[in-house]
Amino acid sequence: MATKLKEVDAVIIGLGWTGGILAKELAEAGLKVVALERGAMRNPASDYAVPNIRDELRYVVRHDLMQNTARDTITVRNNPTQGALPMRRLGSFLPGEVVGGSAVHWSGHTWRWTDMEFKARSRYEERYGKNFIPADMTIRDWGISYDELEPYYDKFEYTAAVSGKAGNIKGTIQPGGNPFEAPRARDYALPPLTPILASEMFTQAARNNGYHPFPRPSANASRAYTNPDGSKFGACQYCGYCQRFGCEANAKGSPHMTVIPIALANPNFELRTHSWATKVLKDSDGKRVTGVAYTDILTGEEFEQPAGMVLLCAYAINNVHLMLLSGIGETYDPLAQKGVIGKNYCYQTGASATLFFEGRHFNPFMNAGGSNATIDDFNINWDFDRAPHNFVGGYNVSGGFNTVLPIGYRPVPRGTPQWGKAWKAATAKYYQTAMTISASGSVMANRYNCFDLDPTYRNAFGQPLMRMTFDYKENEHRMGQHAAKVINDIAKSMNPTHLNAATARTDPWTVVPYQSTHNTGGTIMGTDPRESAVNKYLQSWDCHNLFVVGANVFPHNASYNPTGPVGALAYWTADAIKTRYVKNPGPLVSA
Amino acid sequence: MKRARRGFGPITALLVLTAAAHADGDPARGEQRFVDCAACHAPQPGVTNVGPSLTGVFGRKAGTLADFRYSPALKRSGITWTPETLDTFLADPQKVVPNNRMPYGGMPDAADRADLIAFLLRTAK
Repeated sequence: MATKLKEVDAVIIGLGWTGGILAKELAEAGLKVVALERGAMRNPASDYAVPNIRDELRYVVRHDLMQNTARDTITVRNNPTQGALPMRRLGSFLPGEVVGGSAVHWSGHTWRWTDMEFKARSRYEERYGKNFIPADMTIRDWGISYDELEPYYDKFEYTAAVSGKAGNIKGTIQPGGNPFEAPRARDYALPPLTPILASEMFTQAARNNGYHPFPRPSANASRAYTNPDGSKFGACQYCGYCQRFGCEANAKGSPHMTVIPIALANPNFELRTHSWATKVLKDSDGKRVTGVAYTDILTGEEFEQPAGMVLLCAYAINNVHLMLLSGIGETYDPLAQKGVIGKNYCYQTGASATLFFEGRHFNPFMNAGGSNATIDDFNINWDFDRAPHNFVGGYNVSGGFNTVLPIGYRPVPRGTPQWGKAWKAATAKYYQTAMTISASGSVMANRYNCFDLDPTYRNAFGQPLMRMTFDYKENEHRMGQHAAKVINDIAKSMNPTHLNAATARTDPWTVVPYQSTHNTGGTIMGTDPRESAVNKYLQSWDCHNLFVVGANVFPHNASYNPTGPVGALAYWTADAIKTRYVKNPGPLVSA
Repeated sequence: MKRARRGFGPITALLVLTAAAHADGDPARGEQRFVDCAACHAPQPGVTNVGPSLTGVFGRKAGTLADFRYSPALKRSGITWTPETLDTFLADPQKVVPNNRMPYGGMPDAADRADLIAFLLRTAK
């Protein structure tokens, strides 16, 4: 029997970037807010400090900051004709499970997605005709514009201490920045990180090949910084332990050292850790949500937290899972193409080359999360004509390092034995001499890539696991081939001693190895309740007092990391709730 | 004990050269320099962030606040914090106390350090 608690104004499920931003903003607006976080509180002074944090076994192999798959996981298959099996060990992606969420262990790459994504269908149709987009590619316009989101990108970048070089300030192209980016009101919060040898060599080679390299914008403070809320950042120390680790220098923009402590200091806010949300509760007519059922995973006690509004701020996949478990909206059926919840799951693709330069010393142990140089010539550059290459979307290419692990990073030329004396000798010889050039590519929505509830497997709470159906399609294969050729051409122009050339991936997707924690879609935003789960303010079309915040609202996945628009949309939603919804609760967009 | 001496040696040597540099420091400018430290250190008493509180740092033996987990290197350093020892340390922390855990590369400019120390002398009493 669940204990029924006293009603609050808002309950937030998941306390990472989106939950942290909304907690702070809504508590400051005078709302009584409770956050339920399934993970534990960490103390940065002991958990994220030197030397404890530099523990590859604990954080990388044993996934100390990540979701515990013994409690809940997903099942996976490549297409609807297959049976799905549970992912018993995290691999391809790493959802966080701790106060701060995945934003404790992210690298900080912070991009502004543009109208190239938000108006994807209309732009491609306008330029190439309706038939250019394959019939099973279910991309849509998002119902939001870059201009609407620009101030919120700015707010997020300044909160998270993003270091970078503007490429376009109010329409004026800035030398050294990304010339293809959409206009921004002002430069980044901080100047770019210091380049490392690998990124400098890539920059030179990319320029020689006629491309437009720029330093990757990242929430790694290039110098000590105090953000507009008064949160203090140290300068990045290029320690090499960024991705999958908390930051030892308080230099990586993370909610646990910015918005969350501010919320915690506010008497309107209460955090409950180890609290696992099992269901969003609805009233009898299904038009409103009434609260959240959750379990204290330390004691097994069950609670019901009534609330005036519910904000789903968990990892993208878990937000979709909660919608399915709560029966809010119609589950998507890929065969009939009916329903919306679970639709348009997307991921990312890529290609990568390793270059060996005997005699060079790259010092790969020394880098920041974002010490890469990048080109967007085949990404948000609309002048790049996709027609001859027959793909929709784009990819960015970068050279540099991010978190080169002392045990895990073993670059050797292809053909080297994979174990034994010869391997040991090669790994010692080549460790210092290698650099990588890699592409990160978009994945366009496809009618068969989706989520639903698994018919067989259940989690520790007796609830059905979420089932992921996903594979790369021809569109992604063609883009991968294009990316591999561009990477290899740049690499060859640098005359490496050896080259492990890039190849397009055409094998079916699997959960092993790690690829990217950039899972998107499932409760997509849009303008039509029959085609989308939430409106442009991330408000559920079905229940107006439910907001679903995160990359789960993206109708497709771009080549860029998702956290920029995730953070911006959290501020955008917070504004809509504070200035409009609280005064006049109801749908913010009429269907 | 051998390690401790190795860490302490350069301090005594440099002491003579840097003594009283802070006397010319500007505490107002030093407050600006403190932004380098503020992510981890509070100048208020009893506040332990990623780094220990700096209240009462002058005259304190390094690595001795009860509620902070110091590196063995700093505990063994034998340093007592004075404007002079702090000045030497902050110029290049890893050189002065090898293997200490403070993730900070150092403040190379002597005038900046003098300003910072002047600020700390005023606020971290």
